[in-house]
Amino acid sequence: MGAVLILTPVIIGSWPLIAAAVAGAASAMGLMVSESVKEAVKEGQSDVQQSVELELSDSKVLAESMATDQEIVLTKGTVELRVKRDERGRCSVCAKGTGHSKVELKQIAEEFTQKLTQCFVYDKVMRELKNKDFQVVNEEVTEDESIRIHVRRWMD
Amino acid sequence: MAQHDVEITISKTGEVKVHIKGAKGKSCLVYSKWLSELVGKVKDQQLTSEHYEPEIKARIDIEQNLGIDE
Repeated sequence: MGAVLILTPVIIGSWPLIAAAVAGAASAMGLMVSESVKEAVKEGQSDVQQSVELELSDSKVLAESMATDQEIVLTKGTVELRVKRDERGRCSVCAKGTGHSKVELKQIAEEFTQKLTQCFVYDKVMRELKNKDFQVVNEEVTEDESIRIHVRRWMD
Repeated sequence: MAQHDVEITISKTGEVKVHIKGAKGKSCLVYSKWLSELVGKVKDQQLTSEHYEPEIKARIDIEQNLGIDE
């Protein structure tokens, strides 16, 4: 009743907003945020290190809020994910790791970008719903890992 | 007062499904436009029967004009 919309998200936000979503996605996937880039790269490993880079096509990091060399480094085991703003202002995720094939790394990077998108949309939607005086009736994570939010407001 | 409910489902891949309930006519379109601008691009949109119902105030005016008792 009313209307049903299917929307494809576009990630446009300042670096702090994207960084918050990165932290949320990292937490959900059990990734550690590295304090230092150097700590994330284990030197002297004999295995060949593979790398895969994915770009979030519908994304834009507002440039004024971010230095060009700024990035977030996440690690889990031997896998390292770097989230940064590329030359075109889009958000990109680069996955590197020893002992993993390019296919595996691409899968990990894709999973992370999807989780990042979900977290970004959730944060943005919840912030705006509160600004518009909506009350949260119910909120749940379903079996298929979707987030379902039911909000309500009363109008004269 | 009219109760407006919005159910938002953010899938694992980030795709968003929005179901607007209780908002009729113009107010339904206002919600649709606001949520579309907030999230991104509209992939699909379906207006349901409720959308075509007049808003309460307009309906009361129409009913009074027509002399309909509830």
